[in-house]
Amino acid sequence: MATYAIRRVLWVIPVLWAVATITFVLMHLVPGGPFTQDKKLPPAVTDALERRYHFDQPLWKQYSLFLWNSSHGDLGLSVRGDREVSDVIRHGFFVTAQLGTMGFVVAVVLGMTLGTLSALNHNGPLDYLGVGFSTIGASVPNFILGSFLVVLFAVNIQIFKVLGWGGPLQVSDIFDSSAYDWRKLVLPVVAISALPASFIARVTRASVLEVLSQDYIRTARAKGLAESRVVLRHTIKNALIPTLTVMGPIAANLVTGSFIIETMFAINGVGKESIDAIVRRDYQVILGTTLFYTMIVTFANLAVDLAYAAVDPRIRYR
Amino acid sequence: MSIRNRWFLLFAGLMSLVLVAAAACGGGKSSADKTATAGAGTGAKTATTGAADQAPADQQKIVTQMPEPEFVDPHRSNFEQDIGIERMLFRGLYNLTDDGKGGVKVEPAMAAADPTVAGSVYTIKLKAGLKWSDGQPLTAADFVYGIQRECDATVASPYQYVLGAGLGELKGCDELFTNKDAAQTQALTDALGIKATDDLTLVVTLNKPIATFTTIWSLWATFPSRKDVITKFGDKWTDPANIVVNGPFTLTELVAKDHATLKPNPNWTGKKPALQQITVKFIDDLSAAFKAFQTGELTETNIQATDVATAKKDAALAKQVIVVPSARITAIEIQMKNAAISDLNLRTALSRAIDRKTLVDVVYDGVHAPATYWVVKGLKGFQGNEAFDSKIGFDVTAAKAALAAYKASGKTVPELKFTTRDTPQRRNEADFLVKAWKDTLGITVTPEFVDSKTRSSRFNKEDFELFPGGWQLDYPDIENPLVGLFDTGGGNNKYNCSDPDVDAGFKEAAAATTDDARIKAYQKVETNVVTKMCGVIPMYQDAQPFMLSTKLGGVLPNGTIDAGQPGNYCVECWFVKKS
Repeated sequence: MATYAIRRVLWVIPVLWAVATITFVLMHLVPGGPFTQDKKLPPAVTDALERRYHFDQPLWKQYSLFLWNSSHGDLGLSVRGDREVSDVIRHGFFVTAQLGTMGFVVAVVLGMTLGTLSALNHNGPLDYLGVGFSTIGASVPNFILGSFLVVLFAVNIQIFKVLGWGGPLQVSDIFDSSAYDWRKLVLPVVAISALPASFIARVTRASVLEVLSQDYIRTARAKGLAESRVVLRHTIKNALIPTLTVMGPIAANLVTGSFIIETMFAINGVGKESIDAIVRRDYQVILGTTLFYTMIVTFANLAVDLAYAAVDPRIRYR
Repeated sequence: MSIRNRWFLLFAGLMSLVLVAAAACGGGKSSADKTATAGAGTGAKTATTGAADQAPADQQKIVTQMPEPEFVDPHRSNFEQDIGIERMLFRGLYNLTDDGKGGVKVEPAMAAADPTVAGSVYTIKLKAGLKWSDGQPLTAADFVYGIQRECDATVASPYQYVLGAGLGELKGCDELFTNKDAAQTQALTDALGIKATDDLTLVVTLNKPIATFTTIWSLWATFPSRKDVITKFGDKWTDPANIVVNGPFTLTELVAKDHATLKPNPNWTGKKPALQQITVKFIDDLSAAFKAFQTGELTETNIQATDVATAKKDAALAKQVIVVPSARITAIEIQMKNAAISDLNLRTALSRAIDRKTLVDVVYDGVHAPATYWVVKGLKGFQGNEAFDSKIGFDVTAAKAALAAYKASGKTVPELKFTTRDTPQRRNEADFLVKAWKDTLGITVTPEFVDSKTRSSRFNKEDFELFPGGWQLDYPDIENPLVGLFDTGGGNNKYNCSDPDVDAGFKEAAAATTDDARIKAYQKVETNVVTKMCGVIPMYQDAQPFMLSTKLGGVLPNGTIDAGQPGNYCVECWFVKKS
């Protein structure tokens, strides 16, 4: 198992190189650059700006420089405010990770609970509720849901707030209670978790239904085991594999941020930053965030694979 | 299905309807102070009142909205939001203010008075007793250093050109900026046409006299800088812990992508601000900002044109909407190299087929002002629709006649391409125009939607046929939207306008010896550009809608100045009203 994990980690290096190369090439094929604007800057100004950020170098040199620097942890400077890209990602990810983690927890708890209850009450009211919720959650885009929640709960009823993130913006604020405003946390977390929760609910329901029809469940009931023990000990554990499979990509997707939710609630996360960087052709930020996402997805998939082995003792890696 | 399940479904359906109705109905409790006010309307002046009308000091706090600035350093700034914050933190020799007639005037800020002029040499005296926020005296040497930075290629200021040839005409600035030989840098810096003869006296030497001296020297590009601070902290000099400012407010907190907090500068020598704290929230999505205003989380915000109608339907919100004319004209930029478009008859047909009033009403809810002029309202020399409507304004009969004249010369009308940004409003605008040309003239125009950088790249490469664009004023003078845009070979003349009458007008303006003569010459340039549609077909003068809480007083109109926020050139005038 350890060998397998180490091998998977080492594979990250060529994957990152491939992603960096493809991103670099695509970035420079797309029209426009960081200083392209309608009101064209005089050539002297553009020259000075390109010299400042080393964009006047030949592309092969820029590429080599980026690979060399990034292998040493230096992702360069953003043309917006000369911020270090690593700082941009760190600060943005700190917020996005909070949002994503809360969204993930809500999605898993809500999704698995609803899915299990639906399966246990197959064709009953709870089943209809669960299926109805998961259908709506999967059908309604999160920006529509987010807008609806904002208009209803913030603008009309005014229970919640809509502006900014309600958690700490910097690591130093983690233990500062004034950095938390629960009224700002609820709506973005609900909006971002609705789709994954509905997806998890459907997968869990299908999986639990399948397990419930197995002989060993019938045997367990026939033996006189309490229903709670049958469900918690035998059913859910065996129904987890398909749910785990989807949780990895869901976690990676949530933790890397949602551009739409971050924009809608003015949350300073890395999701919005990465899309903004593409729009404004901020090359260093594009490269940095792409590599960052690659690492997140790679390690999320590895975590899922290792979790399989933990859940199902029949699965062993060599 | 069992009866129990049917009842359950009915209950769930009813609950859904109730939720939707609750969301859709009612304007909710807005953040409005419901007392009547004359604040709503187009750029209406909020009456300045005395201290008796002001809330106590502990309530003098507001939260405003802006997109995040790229830089807080005035010598690195390129965008409206950067300049908006810098106006609160710094002041130059002069400041632009509203002239009460929708335009602007220039007033001394750090300067004691207008400059004394002797040929190309301008001598400016500073006010006595000026200080930086750290208590150090503000001297003429700080202005010299600021200009040295502006002309320094390593700083790479995007607005260096306003001090260069053709505009600010500062001696030696272009030479220093384009210099690539490090050995020459010091000599070129010493040769710059700005000297501090003593702590309070600046001597500025230009290549030639200009009529716009005080206007240009009110711009952020000319703000002073502290050499010791910048030498010590480098690019980090604008961090809240390090920054020193000479404006009414100082930067006490800056959280990237979230907000900035400004508090009064204790050493500001001008009008003391009533506000004790301004929190600027960095919000790009104006729809989100509008909702935040409704929940009371923002005191002031820019909103989308399409939210103006929504706001006006609510009795409380309607009193808080203001629409501020922008210093920008939006036009269809037309590539004169195109064989078909180079024919004046075709351009006339295209222009006269556009119902500009209906366009702004339908696409922008009437927020913008239909325009057949190019020089914006509020500038000296403004001529307005009256001068040009009869030549290029909406007239279906005239449009068809022009097209017939075009075809009579044996030419056919090719299918044209309309390249625009891929946003909902630009899509609607494109749909409107394409339909107008098709229905009125039978001309097929294909819209092409691209992202903003691709669009700008195509524009700069002159790879376009029809292209909605325009010009946002850098400074409020008639020369700014003309010079470099319509002269043959001009740096921004990407539509290849080349007309001998237009070029002659520029020469006449350059040779003018009085301001009136200069303005008259530029008016002729505008007349030729617009009536011949030499590269542009004007559509409307932009306006920016804002929500401004009735709790906020002292917000003066910007006149023809970039309205990143209304009244931000006198943020020390703002105050929270007593409840």
